[in-house]
Amino acid sequence: MMERDREESVDLAQISFRTLELSDVDDVLVWTSDEKVAKFCSWEPHSSKDQGIDFIQNKASEFLWGKAICLNDRPIGFISMTSATDKSREKSAELGYVLGSKYWSKGIMSHVVKQVMKVAFSEFPHLDRLEALVDVENVGSQKVLEKAGFQREGVLRKYLVRRGKSRDMVIFSVLSTDL
Amino acid sequence: MSLNLDLSKVSLRPFKLTDVDDFLLWAGDDRVTQNLRWKTCGSMEEALAFIRDVCIPHPWRRSICLHDRSIGFVSVYPWSGDDRCKADIGYAVAADYWGHGVATKAVKMAVPQVFKDLPHLMRLQAFTSPENKASQRVLEKAGFLKEGVLRKYTYIKGNIKDSVVFSFLSTDEFPHDD
Repeated sequence: MMERDREESVDLAQISFRTLELSDVDDVLVWTSDEKVAKFCSWEPHSSKDQGIDFIQNKASEFLWGKAICLNDRPIGFISMTSATDKSREKSAELGYVLGSKYWSKGIMSHVVKQVMKVAFSEFPHLDRLEALVDVENVGSQKVLEKAGFQREGVLRKYLVRRGKSRDMVIFSVLSTDL
Repeated sequence: MSLNLDLSKVSLRPFKLTDVDDFLLWAGDDRVTQNLRWKTCGSMEEALAFIRDVCIPHPWRRSICLHDRSIGFVSVYPWSGDDRCKADIGYAVAADYWGHGVATKAVKMAVPQVFKDLPHLMRLQAFTSPENKASQRVLEKAGFLKEGVLRKYTYIKGNIKDSVVFSFLSTDEFPHDD
């Protein structure tokens, strides 16, 4: 019998969502200062508490919907939806998410995404489409979306520039009619 | 209508107010505008205003001309800020000239010029309706790569549409002229 690594398993029933408060800043910094987490994000890892405060006070409220992913009410990540700016795409929203690296590979993120999909279409009934863009190299995140039921539509070549380099992005979607 | 269309007489140039009569012939035609966001032009006044207020000030729009007479357009709309590595290309040709390679010729002429004119551009992308096979063939012949079908991606004239997405990168090779 193969010896399994001793890993903290997470009881998914302890996962919840809520708005970030200033008092969460130390927990937020755990993932925002982590280079492994920031690698595929548009931002550089945080090096000061001020950046964490700025995220909580300013950036976290800019989304159509944005909540901390909590384990026993302590933030371990963040998930958000952004409306498209183009009027012709106003029934579409883009999903973004981030999770502390200590919590990767435990099925947490796909569980979270499945919940948020339901929230998206019930709280925003005008939405037809939820989409997500994932770096071609970010296989972990692609698996999250596949497990959650998103459909992979294709690879958009050199779709965006991140930290000065152009990146190919895989585009995924789930429709209100898919659920 | 059988045409002896000499593709070497197809050219691109900026729009002029004096294009209005020719412009109305195709921009006033529902068959031409059905897949565009453009409202079909209903009068000379509308056409003139559209040329003056939209076509001429546009970041990159050209009239497709045959013997210097406007028979269509090619437009490139660059995104702004961090997204200026991308731009969207669109085009249309007067119905009488469909099926003769005009749009393909126009797009093939536009692409190298666009990359010269927009220095930050890395990706030119096009979105077509899955039913619009002719438009997809234009892009394929012009060297664009089909990347996928985006479901319920956008609204055009009040209807939700799937979009087939194509791209041409600054590093892609231009197709040889056949």
